[in-house]
Amino acid sequence: MTERQSLAVVGLAHLVLLAVLSLALTSVTPPLPAEDPTPVDVVTLADVPKIPTPPKPSKAAAPEKTVEATAPPDPTPPTPKPEPVPTPDPVPTPKPVKPKPEPKVEPVEKPEPKPEKPKPEKPKPEKAKPAPKLLDAEALSNLLDKSLPKAKVKPLDTSALAKTIEKAMPKTARIDPRATATLIALIRSQVAPCWNPPIGGADVKKMTVLLHLDINRDGTVVGRPGIVSQTGVNSGNADYARAFAETARRAVLRCAPLKLPAEQYDQWKAVEINFDPSDMG
Amino acid sequence: MRTLSLILALLISTPALAVIRVDINSGTAQPLPVAVPAFATASAVATEAGTTTALGAQVASVIAADLGSSGLFRPLDPAAFTTTVAPADVTAPQFAAWRTIAAQALITGNVTANPDGGITVGCYAYDVFSSEELARQGFVTTAANWRRAAHKCADLVYSRLTGETGYFDSRIVYVSETGPKTHRIKRLAVMDQDGAGHRFLTNGQSLVLTPRFAPNQQTLTYMSFANNRPRVWIYTIGSGHQEAISDTGNMSSSPRFSPDGATLVYSISQNGTTDIYKMNLANRSVTRLTNGPGISTSPSYSPDGSKIVFESDRSGGQQVYTMNADGSGQQRISFGEGRAGTPVWSPRGDLIAFTRLTSAKHRIAVMRPDGGGERLLTDAYQDEGPTWSPNGRVILFFRTAAGRGGKVDLHSVDLSGANERQIKTPLDGSDPAWSPLLP
Repeated sequence: MTERQSLAVVGLAHLVLLAVLSLALTSVTPPLPAEDPTPVDVVTLADVPKIPTPPKPSKAAAPEKTVEATAPPDPTPPTPKPEPVPTPDPVPTPKPVKPKPEPKVEPVEKPEPKPEKPKPEKPKPEKAKPAPKLLDAEALSNLLDKSLPKAKVKPLDTSALAKTIEKAMPKTARIDPRATATLIALIRSQVAPCWNPPIGGADVKKMTVLLHLDINRDGTVVGRPGIVSQTGVNSGNADYARAFAETARRAVLRCAPLKLPAEQYDQWKAVEINFDPSDMG
Repeated sequence: MRTLSLILALLISTPALAVIRVDINSGTAQPLPVAVPAFATASAVATEAGTTTALGAQVASVIAADLGSSGLFRPLDPAAFTTTVAPADVTAPQFAAWRTIAAQALITGNVTANPDGGITVGCYAYDVFSSEELARQGFVTTAANWRRAAHKCADLVYSRLTGETGYFDSRIVYVSETGPKTHRIKRLAVMDQDGAGHRFLTNGQSLVLTPRFAPNQQTLTYMSFANNRPRVWIYTIGSGHQEAISDTGNMSSSPRFSPDGATLVYSISQNGTTDIYKMNLANRSVTRLTNGPGISTSPSYSPDGSKIVFESDRSGGQQVYTMNADGSGQQRISFGEGRAGTPVWSPRGDLIAFTRLTSAKHRIAVMRPDGGGERLLTDAYQDEGPTWSPNGRVILFFRTAAGRGGKVDLHSVDLSGANERQIKTPLDGSDPAWSPLLP
């Protein structure tokens, strides 16, 4: 009984299969209609409360630099020229630490006509040592406090006139390079964790952006950091360059307020930060 | 005297006030936290796809899913939102509220019913910490088509925040598979990039392989065994019109359109060899591009149309070659361990994706058009058949699980090898092809 039944089932199945197969062989698959995608029309939305247009800062800054910074792979050749002129003392420092810091710095230097800016960078090599991310801000500022008095000692033991002059002068001048390096490390340790560079982009490794920040005494950033210069921008990646610069600005704004030693405010009330992802994985 | 010299010394040794400069050489490669609250609507109006209020929530969730799937954004859980978005907030967001939940970007907008029954989706992107508007755009379509408006909004956000073009408003065609290995039913199917809007294009009566989109996204080419004659067909999605384009009596296979859509490149098997041909679709004239020995197949144009990458076993094992579009200058570009096949040129032009085949595994890999810089992107038992997202940042492929009757399904991976995801399909899926961005 069951055998007969199963035989019948098998037979039937074969018939069905045959029918299906012969169908497949004889007829072209009838198309199942499918709709065209419904169009989506793009419209411009009316300008409502106008918020300061974001593109301006980056667009203005980025494309201009394009010309100067077009060649990212060979930043080394141009270096020799600008360096010797402004830098008398930094020479020893860069060598020991890394050869990399140099190329990054240079492209930025070019656009800047002022020789003064490069100078403060010299302490960088020193920074490289304290740089470790584990940096404890408080420990560092303690360190700073110790180093400060030393610097002060010399000018203080002179006449009143000297004192007045000293007051009038930017305190930066009195601060030794170690203190500057410490300050730089402090800023770096607070901003770097907030920076989320667009690593996926094709040109990211070739791009750097230099921001100028004005900082309030409470560590908050005044307004929106301006873009001083940007390298690695070419005609094909303007959109990407803008997005890149914005990641840097976002890092600064997101990490604010910065926690920095109040007594050194004169030194950090204006800061330039160069964002360079070329070493990132 | 002494003081004077001191002053002098001070003046000389003091440089002009120099601004401290900090170099930042490292960051964190983390997805950007983004808030996508339900899109606002001035008053709930019924549409063919639900009320505008309901659509506002759905649009937001599609945008959040798109952005999250890229691996570059992290949509924040709406449960954590401390505020909702009223119509007035769309153009004047409460940034402070979004800062408290650490959102770095805010995507908001509105859904408005139009007199003709359609909708307008207004899409706005803001930088939360700088309180800036980054982009805005309106999308007008039918209410039923709201998903595409959402994808377009996601593309706007993606391109504004990453600087690269988006890929969310695009589709995928693939071969849907079901049944035992011996009686596999294979049907052409298309779906949105996110798996929505799935539908079958053929009914499974005949075996189909290697579907590929034309640049106009409305025409497909594929290989079908219809009438037991394996050859290349062209299918027009809107009309459902199908046509066999090569009728030489020989087997034709692995078709693909040129970037301008005017030419079809494919292979024809004849007398034991398989060679690559191209057909001018306007006048159907055919030009032979390769001339043996062995099997040359899987041709794919460079985005500028000047070159073709293909695979050939002329040197023994299957390897990847390039040639000029007229067939001249053929040269092998893949070396290294094992064989290499199914090459596809990136829409950016700078890379070729292919399948790296070793005795142990099949893996998805990329290399430069000169064969250098090979990188393996996946590491499973059997991955093959790569296809590029319209922006060249994501690769879709199909994966066969180990073992008999191993499941076959679609997966995507970033160009970096990260963010591997499965694309859900109703049945098994293989041989995917990604469309260009929809118009």
